[in-house]
Amino acid sequence: MSTRGEETLRTYEEVNRKIVSGDAVVMTADEFVELVRAGGIEAAAKEVDVVTTGTFGAMCSSGAFLNIGHTEPPIRLNECFLNDVPCYTGLAAVDIFVGATAMSRTRGIEYGGGHVIEDLVAGREVELKAEGRGTDCYPRRYLETTISLEEINQAVLLNPRNAYERYNGATNSSDRLLHTYMGTLLPKLGNITYSGSGQLSPLYKDRGFETLGIGTRIFLAGAAGYIVGEGTQHHPQKQLGTLMVRGDLKEMDPLYLKGASIQDYGPSLYVGLGVPLPIINLRVAKTAATPDEEIKTEIKDYGIASSARPSLRTVTYAELKSGRVNLNGRDVPASPMSSHKHAKEIAEELKGRIKKGRFLLSRPAELLPIERPLKLLRTKNSHTVGDIMIANFATAGPRCDISRAATLIVQSGIDHLPIVDEGGRLIGIVTSWDIAKAVATGKQHLRSIMTTSVVSFSKEDSVDEAANRLLTNHISGAPVVDRENKVVGLITIEDLTKLYGRRGAR
Amino acid sequence: MKLKLAYTRFNVTKPVLSQAILKTGVAINILEAKIGASYGEMVVDANADGRDLAKLISFLEAEGLTIVQLGEALEIDLRKCISCGACVSPCPTGAIMQLPSWEIEFDDTKCIRCGTCVGACPVRAIRLTT
Repeated sequence: MSTRGEETLRTYEEVNRKIVSGDAVVMTADEFVELVRAGGIEAAAKEVDVVTTGTFGAMCSSGAFLNIGHTEPPIRLNECFLNDVPCYTGLAAVDIFVGATAMSRTRGIEYGGGHVIEDLVAGREVELKAEGRGTDCYPRRYLETTISLEEINQAVLLNPRNAYERYNGATNSSDRLLHTYMGTLLPKLGNITYSGSGQLSPLYKDRGFETLGIGTRIFLAGAAGYIVGEGTQHHPQKQLGTLMVRGDLKEMDPLYLKGASIQDYGPSLYVGLGVPLPIINLRVAKTAATPDEEIKTEIKDYGIASSARPSLRTVTYAELKSGRVNLNGRDVPASPMSSHKHAKEIAEELKGRIKKGRFLLSRPAELLPIERPLKLLRTKNSHTVGDIMIANFATAGPRCDISRAATLIVQSGIDHLPIVDEGGRLIGIVTSWDIAKAVATGKQHLRSIMTTSVVSFSKEDSVDEAANRLLTNHISGAPVVDRENKVVGLITIEDLTKLYGRRGAR
Repeated sequence: MKLKLAYTRFNVTKPVLSQAILKTGVAINILEAKIGASYGEMVVDANADGRDLAKLISFLEAEGLTIVQLGEALEIDLRKCISCGACVSPCPTGAIMQLPSWEIEFDDTKCIRCGTCVGACPVRAIRLTT
C-alpha cells in the first residue's frame, strides 16, 4: 500500500541541497509534458527534480488584511473606506480586510477592492476615510488620511479560494447577450469563454495533492507565499480542488496583481500564482506530465440561470486553447478569461528562481484533503410543493367511464384527474384533452386513454424544481404522491404563477 | 462615419435605409444587420460628414430609429493589456485574435466599432475614440 506524499524518488532535503548547489533540474510543466512525450515517464521522473506551474486569472475570493497603525488620539474603526471602497472592520481597532469584489461607493464596479490592492502594491497612495463610535479607550470619531503600503504595519494577501484545479467553460444558448463572471457571452452559442491554465494548472499537475498542503511554499504575485490549506469549495472528487493562500503584500509585484472590472458583474482581482512540484514519486511525475489533450472540462450553458447549469459537452483544454470548439455541429470561437501568457511567464519565473537558488521548497505539514463534500445552502423562504399544492381534488378508478370522468373534471375545476387503484395509489392521469380525444374516437373507459407514465412530485420537492420539470415535460400540472405512491395533492402551473405573483407583490 | 441603427417593431419592416439613401444621397454600406420580427440592429458605414451626416441622422431619427455614432478608431493599450483573451471570442467579426504567444492582435479592417470588446476587457485597456 503506497502512502500519499511518499518520497520514493527524492526527498525535499535532497531537492533543496541540489537547489542550493545549483544542480537542480527544473522544468516548467509545458516543458515536462514534452519531455515525457519524447522520452517516457520513467526517464523523465528520474531526471527532473522540480516541475513549475502557473496560473493568472480573475480570482474573486481574494483580499488583504491590513493593520493601518494607531492614530493619536486612537480610533476604533467602525466604518472604513479605501479610495471609497468599503472594508471589513469587524476586527480589532485598526485591523481591516479589503475584499477583491467590494465595490466603490462612487465608481461602482469600475473600481473595487482588487484595484485598491493593485494600487497599494504599485506604491500608490490610497485615500482612507473612517468613522469610529467614540469610546473611552478610542475617543476619536473621524479619520481622513492617505496610506501607502510602506507606511502601514502589516499587509497580508489572504485569498480564501484561488487556483481552481480546472474550471468549466461557458457559453450561452439564450437569445440575449449575457455579461457573466465568465465574461461576455454572445447569444445563441455565439462564443465560448474558459478559465484555468490547463497543463500549467498548479493543482491539476499534482492531482493526488501529494506535495500540496499546509505550508507548501509557492510563488504568489511575485513573492514567496504559502498554501494555508484547502480553499473554500474545495471539491477534489470532481477535480475542482482549490487553495487558500497567503503572502506578504509588501513583497509583491504589481505585474501579478491586477484589479479588474467584469462588465455588469463586479470588480475582481487577477492573481498570478505558481506552485513548484518536487517529483517525489512516480505518481506525481505522471500527473505533472498530463497534457492539455487529456485535461477535460465541461462547457456549461450560462443561458440557464441556475446553480445546476446544464453541460453541453465535454472538451479538453487542447481544444479550448485551439480557439475553436465544435458545438452542435458549429465551429464556435473560444477564448480564455485567464492569461496563458502570464501563466507561462510565472512558471518560467519560478523555474528561474529555483535554478538560481533563490527559492527553496518546503514539505507540507499536512496534505490537502482528497475528499470534501460540496453542499448547496438550504434556504428558509423557499416554498415546497406541499405548500402550494391543491389538497381538495377528485380521483377516479381505471374502470370509471368517460362521462363520469368529464363530470369530475368539471366539478373540481381542475384539468387533471389522477387515476388510482383501490388503495389510492397513482396508476395514471387524464386531462380534459384526453376526454375530448376519447369522445372523438369512441373510447368507453379511462383505462384505454389514461397516461400511465406520470410525472409526479413529493411534498418536499421545491417549487423551483416543480416549475422546471413541468416546463421541460410540457405539461400544465402533475399529481403529488407520498412514499407509498398514494395521491395526496395536485400541483398546476396556475398555482406556481400565483406564487410568483405573491412574491412580486411583496 | 460608422453608425449603429436600432429599429423598433414600428419601423423594422419599412425600407427606411433605401429611402434615406434616395433622400440624402449619402452612400451607405451595411456592415452588420440583425433584423427580427419586432426589432432590428444594423451597423452601417455612412460615407458622409458635417451637414450631410447631420441630414442623414435627422432623417433616420424622424423615421423612429435610434442612432448611435460609433467611434472612429479602436485603441488597445498594450501596456494595460494582460493578454487574457476576454475580448477575443466576444468580437462578432473576429477582429481581435490571439497570437501563439497569447498576445492580442487587432485587425482594424475587420472592426465594426461595435464596442463589445470595450466592456468585455476586465482591465479597461480598450477604448473607442471619437
